[in-house]
Amino acid sequence: MLIVDDDEINREMLTVMLEDEYPIEIAVDGEAAVDVLHRRQEEILVVLLDLLMPKIDGFGVLEIMKAQGWLDKIPVLVISAESANNAEYRCLELGVSDFIHKPYDHTIVKNRITNTVNLFRYKNELEDKVAEQTEELRKQYELLKRQRDRLKESNVRIIDLLGTVVESRNLESGEHIQRVKGFTRILAEQLMKDCPEYGLTPEKIDGIVMASALHDVGKIAIPDSVLLKPGKLTFEEFEFMKTHTIKGCEILDNAEGIWEEGYGDICYEICRHHHERYDGRGYPDGLAGEDIPLSAQLVGVADVYDALVSVRVYKPPFTLDQAYHMILNGECGMFSPKLMSSFRRCRGKFEALARMQHGNENKEKGKEAVG
Amino acid sequence: MTVKECYAAFGGDFEGTLARLSSEKLVDRFIRKFLADESFATLKKALEEENYEEAFRAAHTLKGVGMNLGITKLYQISGELTEEMRGGKKPENMDLIAQLETEYEHTRAVISEFAGA
Repeated sequence: MLIVDDDEINREMLTVMLEDEYPIEIAVDGEAAVDVLHRRQEEILVVLLDLLMPKIDGFGVLEIMKAQGWLDKIPVLVISAESANNAEYRCLELGVSDFIHKPYDHTIVKNRITNTVNLFRYKNELEDKVAEQTEELRKQYELLKRQRDRLKESNVRIIDLLGTVVESRNLESGEHIQRVKGFTRILAEQLMKDCPEYGLTPEKIDGIVMASALHDVGKIAIPDSVLLKPGKLTFEEFEFMKTHTIKGCEILDNAEGIWEEGYGDICYEICRHHHERYDGRGYPDGLAGEDIPLSAQLVGVADVYDALVSVRVYKPPFTLDQAYHMILNGECGMFSPKLMSSFRRCRGKFEALARMQHGNENKEKGKEAVG
Repeated sequence: MTVKECYAAFGGDFEGTLARLSSEKLVDRFIRKFLADESFATLKKALEEENYEEAFRAAHTLKGVGMNLGITKLYQISGELTEEMRGGKKPENMDLIAQLETEYEHTRAVISEFAGA
């Protein structure tokens, strides 16, 4: 306890009343008090402060304590020879905890101080505890975030793997999956800029791109004789081929509950509707216009574009220029005018990605041929 | 002279002081301390030098000491004087200073006698 008073009798009376309960430090004026606080504020439990003192007075000490932030940690009781007056109001405004009025009464002095000290100890402990728990929560949150990111990352890889397994029956590498994802992202990001009315966000785009890996998962159920047939399919074979959209959804139905909320729906939309066309002449449901989910419209363009610029068992690749015009002319079915307008704007990015991907593929093939 | 008789002689509040300090031993100990208190001397000197801020502070201290020791008349007069000089003003009622001096000298004489006994 720090007792600050310039009068010796007053100091000694307080000391005698309190020395059994608290080790006591004395300051004979405000300046000495500030000095003690500077050196030993961690150890001071409570301050008893006189107001009227030469040099720095009680208010001066309070203002310094407030500025230094000590008043939040150390309670101050002001020693006062007067009852309520302006000086006391000012003390309270500065953050004084209580008053000890003259004449000193042993019982009142002791109890007022004990009460104040206990209250502050409780307050400080609570504050420490809250700070500790906040820190603990922050750590837990960081951990959760890292785990969530890791989970998301492994989800993406497993979904890609699933898509790739299906594609491998097509004698395709996993690159078709990566290219469709890439084209989907380019078109979606362009559309987000061009048409805010669709409400696309970076998060939604991530979900659509991730789900696009599964657009052809139903092809696992199409026999080799149809899937790998070079040349044109018969009417029956083509009708059978079309069922890959529905079969894909049946596969996804088995996986219900394993996806993050909302994500399963996107997978389902893409799987079922990526062959729908804007004029209603697509399959399997013949949806038209904006009845076709946006995710499926985006993947539809990306899938067709990649099919055009890639080698297929039934066709050589078209040039990038041909592919661009075939899509715009509706030669592969009609797409939404808004999507086509965005497609025109991001043509350069589509072609850059196509060149890069096919360049890699050709290099791979070249190596195999040499080997 | 007992400490109780001493209080009776200068007109102090012995019972109240005893109740507040909780033991006669402490009342005895602190009333003797009054002899070493310099606030009256400081007050007189400050008044002579017309340093009313210092005089206010000294009168205020004397009032506090008087209250704590139960020296009733002394703290009442010094209390009035304190109010006269609040804010560093020159006291208007000069009679208060004379009264205070009389009371102080009387109290001091009684306590000296008690302390010497």
